Amino acid sequence: MIAWTEEQEAFKDVVRRFVDAEIVPNLEQLEHGDLPPYDTMRKLYDTFGMKEMMKARYERIIAKDSEGAGSERKATTGGGDMMAMQCILISEICRYCPGIVTALGVSTGLTAGAIIARGTRAQKEKWVLPLLTLEKIGAWAITEPGSGSDAFGSMRSTAKRDGDGGYILNGTKTFITNGPYADTIVFICKLDDGSTEPQDRKILSFVLDKDTPGLTRSKPLRKMGLHSSPTGELSLQDVHASADQLIGESEDAYGRSGAKETFGTERSGVVAMCLGIVDRCLELCVSYAKERVQFGKPIGEFQLIQLKLAKMEVARMNIQNLLFRLIELTNAGTGMSFAEASACKLYAAQATMEVTIEAVQLFGGNGYMAEYQVEQLCRDAKVIQIYAGTDELQITAIAKGLLRG
Amino acid sequence: MKILVCLKQVPHKDARLEIGSDGTWIKEDGIKFEINDYDNYALEEALRLKDAGEAEVVVATIGPDRVTQSLRTALGMGADRAIHVWDDSLANADSLGIAKVLAAVAKEENFDVVFCGLMSDDSNYAMVGPMLAQLLDIPHVTAVVKTDFENGAVKVEKELEGGTLEVSQVPLPCLLAVQTGINEVRYASLKGIMQAKKKPLDKKALSDIGLDGAAVAPKLSIEKIYTPPKGEGANLLSGSADEIATQMVGKIKELGLL
Repeated sequence: MIAWTEEQEAFKDVVRRFVDAEIVPNLEQLEHGDLPPYDTMRKLYDTFGMKEMMKARYERIIAKDSEGAGSERKATTGGGDMMAMQCILISEICRYCPGIVTALGVSTGLTAGAIIARGTRAQKEKWVLPLLTLEKIGAWAITEPGSGSDAFGSMRSTAKRDGDGGYILNGTKTFITNGPYADTIVFICKLDDGSTEPQDRKILSFVLDKDTPGLTRSKPLRKMGLHSSPTGELSLQDVHASADQLIGESEDAYGRSGAKETFGTERSGVVAMCLGIVDRCLELCVSYAKERVQFGKPIGEFQLIQLKLAKMEVARMNIQNLLFRLIELTNAGTGMSFAEASACKLYAAQATMEVTIEAVQLFGGNGYMAEYQVEQLCRDAKVIQIYAGTDELQITAIAKGLLRG
Repeated sequence: MKILVCLKQVPHKDARLEIGSDGTWIKEDGIKFEINDYDNYALEEALRLKDAGEAEVVVATIGPDRVTQSLRTALGMGADRAIHVWDDSLANADSLGIAKVLAAVAKEENFDVVFCGLMSDDSNYAMVGPMLAQLLDIPHVTAVVKTDFENGAVKVEKELEGGTLEVSQVPLPCLLAVQTGINEVRYASLKGIMQAKKKPLDKKALSDIGLDGAAVAPKLSIEKIYTPPKGEGANLLSGSADEIATQMVGKIKELGLL
């Protein structure tokens, strides 16, 4: 793949029209008001017939389960076109509002994804469809005040067997996207069987409904950017979970690899986000460089400004090419290795941060003002170097891939 | 029912337009194009007829390769098939030339209704619709704001000056040139767009529809396009907002507008 196809371009246009009509006029409220992103996400799904597509996807997942062929993930070749459309959807929304994509991705990608990958058929039937269609909003709770990059090593949340087939859950989770509003929460913790040392404990994950007794949620936390994605804290105090809430209904079903699979998917989605942010910054900067006159000529005629624009274009081309590769690999049915997905994420995140900070610089004083969109995109971009695995963790993953064997 | 919708691809409303070196048209390199807004409403009106019952919707356009993307969008929205006509001799075609090509396309099949937009966003002639109807020898209504199809005819409301509407009963086949805002134009769905590439898109040369360059040679050519020069007579008001408001009211009164 060397360019978007005609159909993909057509989809890009139509998503852009939706963003112009439904997101741009509400951006101030989404970013700085009290408007949660969920109704906009639902409208997006309704508009593009994605609810129906998600229902069809759910039926395929269940059908596959009946055949006993294992998880959907091990599926298939030929998914490139769908992956391309997904990338377009993500990047077009991120031209204005990366927060919406984060909220959407966590709900349908991470939360539903975790249940699809490792859940039993009954669990999929109960929770997956409402999450995929956005009837319900999901949160995926792994990070804790004391555990970020060292997600499993420092994890303190626990599940203890209650002696009656169920579990008692305790712990505090933070930086949880959709936490304040989620209907369905995937809670990741360690099994405390009273004898195993913390570092050797099994990783379990449970599906909890929002009204579970003992579960409390904070209001949205204030943060640097991504204001349209509500982030919160979850606290569990002696929460009772039955065995059928344990993903896979087995203490060995999820484990560390379950979460790792989720990380891989997440990293590819982030690259599409980066394309949208960089594309919009470049568009804004080119336009500003032509219009803004200093020392008697448009600033685009100064070579220092040209250098910034040229570097932005290089970043845009590289990120787009990474996406083309991702789409091709998806189509071939091989997907990306964990190390490669990490490499893509690392490059895209760093390039995007550089582009956005340079965009603010190019706009000068105006760039520092909230009125000009580069300010928001710059604040939003920073989190991409942090969430879905920090840059530092991506580097470790790439190096491990190189040094293995 | 068989419906033809004539689409034109025009520069995107947000495109930054620059006049070309020969001064007779804009530079088309590097700008984005989209379906003419009036034509979106025409297409939507046709798709609503399709939704309501049995109808085949065919979209047709004239233009270089780039126009196929607009046809794909139309197919993604729900049109059944598309026809793309192009020949280099059409690059400077006038309204009559375009109408002749569309008439040749329409004559190949028996359409019950031909929809087009009232005019195009880029050249604003509003002539292709009536000319096409004349060439096809069918009745037409322009500035259509409402349609009601029943028993082989259509009751049409047409917009006149000052908010007045004209109602007429038109037998089929007929041509309707649609005003903007008459419906809410749908978005192409993701599934629709993914299926669009499987729908037929026929590329035709002039010779395929019984025409040649001479038949469509323009009788009208653009001498030049230009941005009106800045004129004299602007009166710039200065002062605080209150002072400016007072001066402005004074000016309006002075001109007898209040």
